[in-house]
Amino acid sequence: MSTSGHSVFRRLLRHPSGLVGLLIIALVVLMSASAGFIFPEGPWVLGGRPRTWPGVDPAFPLGTDALGRDMVAALFYGARVSLAVGAAAALVSLVIGTLVGAIAGYYGGWLDDVLMRLTDAMQTIPSFLAAIAIVGVVGASLSTIIIAIAVVSWPMIARLVRADFLRLRTYDFVQSCKIIGMSDLRIIFGQILPNCLAPIIVSSSVLVATAIITEASLAFLGLGDPNVMSWGTILSTGRPELRSGWYMTAFPAVALVLTVLALNLIGDALNDVLNPRLKERKS
Amino acid sequence: MTQKFPTVGRRSFLAGLAASTALPLIAMPGKLWAQEPRAGGTLRTPAWPAPSVLNSAISTAGPETFLGPKMFDGLLAYDFGMVAKPQLATDWQMSDDGLRITFNLREGVTWHDGEPFTAHDVAFTFMEVLKVHHGRGRTTFGDLLAVETPDDLTAIFVLETPNPAMMRALDSRESPILPAHIYEGTDILDNPANTAPIGTGPFKLAEYEIGSYVVLVKNPDYWEEGYPLLDRMVIQYVPDSATRAAMLESGQADAVFLNMIPAQDIVRLDEQPDFTMDTRGFEGMPSAQQMDFNLDNPILANVMVRHAIAHAIDPEWITQNVWYGLGTAGKTPLHVDQVEYYTTEGVPEYPYDLDRANELLDEAGYPRGDNGTRFELMLDPSPWGTESITASAYVREQLRQVGIDVTVRTQDFGVFVTTVWTDRAHDLVLYTVNLGVDPTIGTQRFYWSESYRPGSAFTNGAHYMNPEVDALLEAAQVETDPQARRDQYAEFQRIVMRDLPVMPITNIHGANIASTRVHDHTVDALGVLGGFTRLWIEE
Repeated sequence: MSTSGHSVFRRLLRHPSGLVGLLIIALVVLMSASAGFIFPEGPWVLGGRPRTWPGVDPAFPLGTDALGRDMVAALFYGARVSLAVGAAAALVSLVIGTLVGAIAGYYGGWLDDVLMRLTDAMQTIPSFLAAIAIVGVVGASLSTIIIAIAVVSWPMIARLVRADFLRLRTYDFVQSCKIIGMSDLRIIFGQILPNCLAPIIVSSSVLVATAIITEASLAFLGLGDPNVMSWGTILSTGRPELRSGWYMTAFPAVALVLTVLALNLIGDALNDVLNPRLKERKS
Repeated sequence: MTQKFPTVGRRSFLAGLAASTALPLIAMPGKLWAQEPRAGGTLRTPAWPAPSVLNSAISTAGPETFLGPKMFDGLLAYDFGMVAKPQLATDWQMSDDGLRITFNLREGVTWHDGEPFTAHDVAFTFMEVLKVHHGRGRTTFGDLLAVETPDDLTAIFVLETPNPAMMRALDSRESPILPAHIYEGTDILDNPANTAPIGTGPFKLAEYEIGSYVVLVKNPDYWEEGYPLLDRMVIQYVPDSATRAAMLESGQADAVFLNMIPAQDIVRLDEQPDFTMDTRGFEGMPSAQQMDFNLDNPILANVMVRHAIAHAIDPEWITQNVWYGLGTAGKTPLHVDQVEYYTTEGVPEYPYDLDRANELLDEAGYPRGDNGTRFELMLDPSPWGTESITASAYVREQLRQVGIDVTVRTQDFGVFVTTVWTDRAHDLVLYTVNLGVDPTIGTQRFYWSESYRPGSAFTNGAHYMNPEVDALLEAAQVETDPQARRDQYAEFQRIVMRDLPVMPITNIHGANIASTRVHDHTVDALGVLGGFTRLWIEE
């Protein structure tokens, strides 16, 4: 598998669902990047009449929330936080999951047993309940939320990586590396890991999507960080208004759905693009 | 009908007038049509949480205080404005030194099991139950030395010091009279009658399914001729507030009391022709939202900083937008419903003014730094309900405008209480609290130096120490002259608002929402926490 990043990206653009996904994500990234320029005062300004419906006041095209904050500004800043939480949580769980999976798969034996039983134990805990418990006990701050999400989502990556390592460690190229005296560390990170990147990359896009949803769900239940404006924060302030102002929850919900859909589309496309067997079939 | 309407909306005010037969019938929309009270019918109401016992003498929890007065009577009841009126006591006299109060009891009252009610029941209830087992009774009746019973229909309270607050705590919700013949000589907390009550009240228990529902039926032998009007009352325990609102809207319930559905739903339903909101009858539990400054923080110890923060926050805005207008902006440490003592005369005000706030902070010696920030504060909102958390978002943004960087810390209720009142790790704390039927009972604890007791929740969390205030509070505790007591509390309000250890935010108005078919659930100060003797339902 010697596909360079550049050609993967080009093939992703040619892939219909990949293209749609990338476009949506590009838009979300653009929203979060431009938030500071378009709304320099931040998302918290209580600038409008509370509960102004969309389209009523031209200054607030999407209306205001229960406290009179601009929904557009909130959505732009929310994109920033939601993406950041998603990416950070995915990154942390990728690191933990890859390390655990690599060590377990490469060394096998009792180490494998211990690590996999730990993974099993983690997987038996309903992940969202565990996240609620962690945030509830430690307190709601952005870093706690990121860690809570990472803690409940690494086992999936660990299992994936371990399976690939179990398979690859018996291959000749790994055996020859061992014979020429290469250190375990170099074999794991320099030789085997690059060969099982494809499934990791594919699942990481799903991981980001799950993390964004988890953050929003926690915030919806009132366990979000009240000091940052994420889409979940908008949801949770809009929730009591569900009967009288559905737009307050509808807009962040649409943003969430689109972003998560886009990430899943990219995941699917990556799966197609990176899977050598599918490539052969097509050509 | 000369009732006081301290906090009525226009519509319920008209409805109240329409219901009084003193007014001639005039053409009014159907909602306000005056009718003669009708006996009979069933009231269905959802509530939550479910009670653990059915006796408000041993539990001060919400469900018990709602149910208790339906089955038990008190010595007194209170008209709007907390004016005492007879219930089991027909009249009463206080000795000149305020140390002996004689109650003459009603004749011919019987318990639900047919036994006669006597002065012995009164003595037993106060001395053995309320003084010992009631959450607030231990304090309220702490000075009560004995209840003398010279005959079956006279009870004389003997006090160690005069206790004017006690005279506001003798109703069926706060101090229900229990049957001595059932409870005497038993373990009171374990007595089976706690879940199968025998009272003298207007309703009797018919069915009780723990955690699910309670059915009460009319007491045909009630001492008040012709009352209660209702035949039956069904209280169903429904955990989800949206379901409770839907039950009312779909006609499966007739009324939802005590804010058991969210404020925005109450306001929304009130706008519909079939429902009426009533905010009267919450004088027995005046609740307020307030914000304590931790005076142990050197920045907040500076009174100019506290004044600046008060200028930067508009309580009226919070009242309108967080409480949906179901409240009055806080102006003094007391609640507007504490009618007798509440005053704004000569009480310092802090009108919303960001420029003034900035000036004060500059003067106080906290100029803006390079990033526009003067200093940082931690704000702990109470997780009880959602209003304190919502209001904290407003406070945080307002203080940002004047250069104070506030971090909001939301925690589980238990951790919140420990953080603030045990660890004292807070700077600002925003919470809701019951200010008490009398300032001695609910308000004093936030300002009295002796109630600075780390480890004990909802006490003097500001760590406010002012000998002048202490003297006023202690004097008012035992003052029997009504005018002198009013003056003491007026002075207290002026000093506290000048020192501002606690910023009043909103005087919350409770609300009941009922179908327009339901009438007269609130006829006095106790409102729906009374006996519902006058409540009637159209066919």
